[in-house]
Amino acid sequence: MATMVVLPLLAIGVLTTAFGGLGLVVFPPMMMGLRRWAEWHRRRAAALLGVSLPPRRTSLAKGIRARWKQVLDRESRRDLLWALQHVAIGLPAGLLALFCVGTTVATLVGAPLWWLFPEGDPLRLLLSMPVRSWESAFAMGGAQIALTGALAWWALPRVSRFHARHCMTALEPSVEDQLTERVDELTESRAGVLDAHGAELRRIERDLHDGTQARLVSIAMRLGVAREALDDDTGTVAALLKEAHEGTEEAMTELRDVIRTMYPPILADRGLEGAIAAVAARAGVTTEVELGPLGRLPAAVEAAAYFIVAESLTNAAKHSGATRALVRLSRHDDRLLVEVTDDGIGGVDESRGTGIVGIRRRAAALDGTVLVQSPAGGPTAITVELPCAS
Amino acid sequence: MRVVIAEDNVLLSAGLELLLGTKGIEVAAVVTDGPGLMEAVERHEPDAVIADVRLPPSFRDEGIRAALEVRQANSGMPVLVLSQYVEKVYARELLSDGKGGVGYLLKDRVSRVGEFVDGLRRVAEGGTVMDPEVIAQLMAGTGKNAIDALTNREREVLALMAEGLGNTELGKRLFITDNAVHKHIGNIFAKLGLPVADGGHRRVLAVLAFLNSQP
Repeated sequence: MATMVVLPLLAIGVLTTAFGGLGLVVFPPMMMGLRRWAEWHRRRAAALLGVSLPPRRTSLAKGIRARWKQVLDRESRRDLLWALQHVAIGLPAGLLALFCVGTTVATLVGAPLWWLFPEGDPLRLLLSMPVRSWESAFAMGGAQIALTGALAWWALPRVSRFHARHCMTALEPSVEDQLTERVDELTESRAGVLDAHGAELRRIERDLHDGTQARLVSIAMRLGVAREALDDDTGTVAALLKEAHEGTEEAMTELRDVIRTMYPPILADRGLEGAIAAVAARAGVTTEVELGPLGRLPAAVEAAAYFIVAESLTNAAKHSGATRALVRLSRHDDRLLVEVTDDGIGGVDESRGTGIVGIRRRAAALDGTVLVQSPAGGPTAITVELPCAS
Repeated sequence: MRVVIAEDNVLLSAGLELLLGTKGIEVAAVVTDGPGLMEAVERHEPDAVIADVRLPPSFRDEGIRAALEVRQANSGMPVLVLSQYVEKVYARELLSDGKGGVGYLLKDRVSRVGEFVDGLRRVAEGGTVMDPEVIAQLMAGTGKNAIDALTNREREVLALMAEGLGNTELGKRLFITDNAVHKHIGNIFAKLGLPVADGGHRRVLAVLAFLNSQP
């Protein structure tokens, strides 16, 4: 019964938008109220049917925009449909229960008082049978209580189970909904994981810089001083020192290469803008850079954009015979657009290790798209779109 | 010679002090950040500054900025910048005032004590010392500009000039005579359109032209 009130209330909630946008604020909590109400019914239905259910989230997100997004999803649509069904099934079922209980109580009270009814309009039991004596009152009263009791005994559990089942199916997402929700969840969690991953790489780069790299340099310095201090540079000690020194230098070079391919230090020092300028500066072709306002980007997206530009420019210099290249980075809402064009001979063959494979792999890891346009004779344009919702 | 060191990692500043000490170079002060460097340079008036690229507070490129500020405030104070990685853009920024007295090296090079101290001295005398990695980044490209007019040998000579080698060392490294070195350098200056006069300074300009040869 109470559910009947819900829909008009929601309608009022929406209509209040007219009054200074009140509905904008009021509507999401109302929808969440409906969800809690639905959830309460769903729990009771589950308890009745003896099944266990994972609880749904019934707390509001923070911020108006997030709240609206939250209450405009498929789940809310299900809540509303449930409210309609709940009224359609719940109302007759409730009336039936009311009838059974009401009739029993009325008979219990009415039958012993049959003699109070006026002669012309006697008490009627079993639909229309008049009661005119104590015998008939007991017989028909008993029969009526037995009948309604039997009806209640037989029908009410079935009706309530039917109602409960409907309640649960109405609130249960369809396979398609489940998949959609799963994909949404996975997209969100993957973005989170990638962001965390990017931040982690940046932390590791810092730690290596301040720790291992610094230690190696310090060891190399001492070995260098030791070698200088050694008067005779032909003995075993000198040879060992030399080996140790050169080994340390190799280790430093290797570590530097590892760090550069993992997370370019220039990115940590100068951000994406500075890093792109640096990569353009050491490209083998004259490179112009156009940067739009990029805003804050997840670390993983920054690193991917950096590597994509670096790969594209290396390609341009190595394979295309280009003399000029243009790098353009721009942000369109939740997408970062990376475009690298060159004036080379085109005809990029992706199967021949041209670095495009690496670009595709990096973009795919972020759910991005890559478009390579490279007709024979040129020019080559590589366009990468990276989602960067933060 | 007296230097001021800007390095926040104690391990490295201690190592540098030890190393410079063995070569009779006095470390006037060790500071850990940009403002500290400015102050120390004013107080100690060193012959050169050795600065790490990453310094507090943000550990980004404060070292470069501090070095440039110190040079601006102290009429081209010689600066040797050390880093765990090298980028051509940093080299160009350091050289952009065209005054020379600039070094930019990987920290790895420090352990070659003799070469490092030679480099430091050249920087203090107004020379230019670029890390071979910077040069490698330059050589990787094939731009279409003045540098391309140079022969391979001339490019080699220019690269070694950028590393800060003098004519004699240059000749030794390439197994050519002093005369040949002179001839190559003359050709390089001519091809890059650099004025005939202005000896030491011209070398800096050549290196700068080299650095700017690709955008």
